[in-house]
Amino acid sequence: MLKKARKERLIWLDIMMTLLALALMSYFYYGIRSVALCGTCVAVSLAAEVVSLRLMGRKFKADDLTCTSDALILALMLPTCMDYSIAVIASLFSVIVAKNVFGGRKNMIFSPAAAAYVFILTSWGSKLLMYPEPHTKLGAFEKPETLVHSASYSFNISGKLDFTDFEVLLGNFSGPAGAVSILLLVISAIILIFRDDISAGAFLGSMIGTGLFAFIVPVGHSREDSLSYSLVTNMVLFASIYIIADRRIAPKREYFAIFYGLFVSIFAYTLVLTTAKENAIVIVSVLFTPVTLGFKNLEKKIALAEEEELLMAAKLVKSEETEPQAPAEEAIVNE
Amino acid sequence: MYLVNDIIAFLAANLILSQALGTSTLFVAADSKRKLVGTACCITIFTTCGSIGAFMIRKLLPSEYADLTLLLYILMIGVLYVGFLTAAYFINQERFVNIRKYIHLSAFNCAVIGTLFTMDQKAANNPALFTMKEYVRFGFKAGIGFITAALILTAAFRKLNSSKVPSSFRGGPAILIYLGIISMAVYSLK
Amino acid sequence: MNERKTSIFDGILGDNAVLSGLMVISPVIICGNTVKTAEALICTFSAITFLSVLLGSFVPKKLPYTVKVIIYALISSIVYIPVREAAEKFYPDSITRIGIYFPLLAVNSLIILQSEAKFFRMKKPRMLASLTFYIIGFDAVMLLTAFVRELLAYGTIRSKMADVNTLISGLGEPFGGFIFLGLMCGLYRKIRSIARKEDNTRGDLNVSGK
Repeated sequence: MLKKARKERLIWLDIMMTLLALALMSYFYYGIRSVALCGTCVAVSLAAEVVSLRLMGRKFKADDLTCTSDALILALMLPTCMDYSIAVIASLFSVIVAKNVFGGRKNMIFSPAAAAYVFILTSWGSKLLMYPEPHTKLGAFEKPETLVHSASYSFNISGKLDFTDFEVLLGNFSGPAGAVSILLLVISAIILIFRDDISAGAFLGSMIGTGLFAFIVPVGHSREDSLSYSLVTNMVLFASIYIIADRRIAPKREYFAIFYGLFVSIFAYTLVLTTAKENAIVIVSVLFTPVTLGFKNLEKKIALAEEEELLMAAKLVKSEETEPQAPAEEAIVNE
Repeated sequence: MYLVNDIIAFLAANLILSQALGTSTLFVAADSKRKLVGTACCITIFTTCGSIGAFMIRKLLPSEYADLTLLLYILMIGVLYVGFLTAAYFINQERFVNIRKYIHLSAFNCAVIGTLFTMDQKAANNPALFTMKEYVRFGFKAGIGFITAALILTAAFRKLNSSKVPSSFRGGPAILIYLGIISMAVYSLK
Repeated sequence: MNERKTSIFDGILGDNAVLSGLMVISPVIICGNTVKTAEALICTFSAITFLSVLLGSFVPKKLPYTVKVIIYALISSIVYIPVREAAEKFYPDSITRIGIYFPLLAVNSLIILQSEAKFFRMKKPRMLASLTFYIIGFDAVMLLTAFVRELLAYGTIRSKMADVNTLISGLGEPFGGFIFLGLMCGLYRKIRSIARKEDNTRGDLNVSGK
């Protein structure tokens, strides 16, 4: 139990490190406002967590700090010029409505950040999907003069991206503050997979699903472009690491997790292809919650059956040991 | 490819997720998984057969007596109600006591009556839909939608009723919020 | 005396039809997003439910359950006809907006299920009082929901502009209704459990005082 709790904390720490690196990168591109937005989300989430846990009659423990990583995930999915009031409401929603109402971190149903993102999308969609240009340094209370559509938007519409591979890798294109730094995200994914912090199955399933479909049914004319850009736009990489492969949400068994990742990514890619829906993967991850829960129920049933089988076998061995004279068949019948 | 869009359209037209029809029934049936699925199947039969009756009523009722539509629908569903109970009794007397519960729960509720009125509204907006085939199709689809919602709920049943959920939110309120978030995701795809 | 009083008033707080029984929630979720629509719905719901349960109480109790339920539904659908005509005169716009949820009021759980399980087991005067409070309970929830949702989603109160900086338009949508009602139910249960705990402690103190 202690080992499990310690592992939970280590996972949170690792994830926080990678998220902070992404936040730092967004600071270089967008200035202090991106840091202020992250800080607002983290502070509000933490306060909401403390208050709601108190109302639930529980003590705030170190493990409950996971709310801060959820807050950072949310903040990094937003445009840096997003109103603070919206960020506050979304953070409250993620902690209270999407998490603690269902029992908090011990009984997670939705990814809090994904649910909060969809919540913002439904109420402030136009503000959520317009971004400042990279290198537009903003003060904590400044607003950019011009806002542009994301690179994902242009890719979904035209199937092309007017950026060099180097720019794409460094995240020098418009989009959510934390989801564009591709090189950093790839490094984060490798670290988190090797440290067993995220579900490798779900992550790979999601990547394979998007990649495979992007190659078979390309968004534009070029299969290669479709394959490479589909993986880096629409927050596919970011969501695959921090939402789909989230150990609290994804199925425990790797082969179930692979299928879960595959389903979500294929569904999301098809949506991007047919409706040009931006960042569909985040919405689909929320929509597929019943599927994940179904997988988890199945896992529980399998575990229970395995446990029963082991128990039966142990009983059989025990009965054979106590009655060595009795024929084996009789012992089985008795059981 | 188009299957995904069909799934989205199907979810977007879902009785419970988009119109909250039959939500109260869902809660009454949410006692157990078996009851939930049983009631959902029963509601599908009611919406499908009811849509045939609704079409006949709409066709035969003169427009000046349109106010009587609800009364006639209730009468028709009452006939179906008695008919299904009788059929269930004669088909399997041993299981009648169990099946009876689902029929009682499914007969008069918003899901069934709401489906009939929604179809009427659609047919009024688009006369091409005023055919028996379309009515039956819509009735069946609505029932399947209810089954889908029941399955969505069944998947989270254990978690929503877990002792880890705060006692004031356990069960009903958690179910409402869960359905709300799923409905929100469906809405954002529209 | 005290016990009798609480059971009559249960419909408002102790056993609210919407928040406790989760009954008649579709109109609250869908139509409870503006005060004007809520007002129209409240008036029609109150009239249909009160008259239907009152008339339904004259149905012989010896009839089989199925027959009784069909008769209750038929009564309410008859009551619905004049109520609809009256509502169309008083709230022409709101009735159009309520749409299919208007006839659905006639088959609400309070008439179909609760009348048999609760109201018809009481004596008539008590039944009428209890029913009135159940209806008031629904009306209060409907009005409160509509007020908050209209204010936060559209920034208006009865279609008049209010000073709200950040509007949450999603709250006016069906999913907003689900989430808001879920939160209200949870809050209601919490308050109720605290109130009951306090009552029990007071009761215990009285007993020990004796």
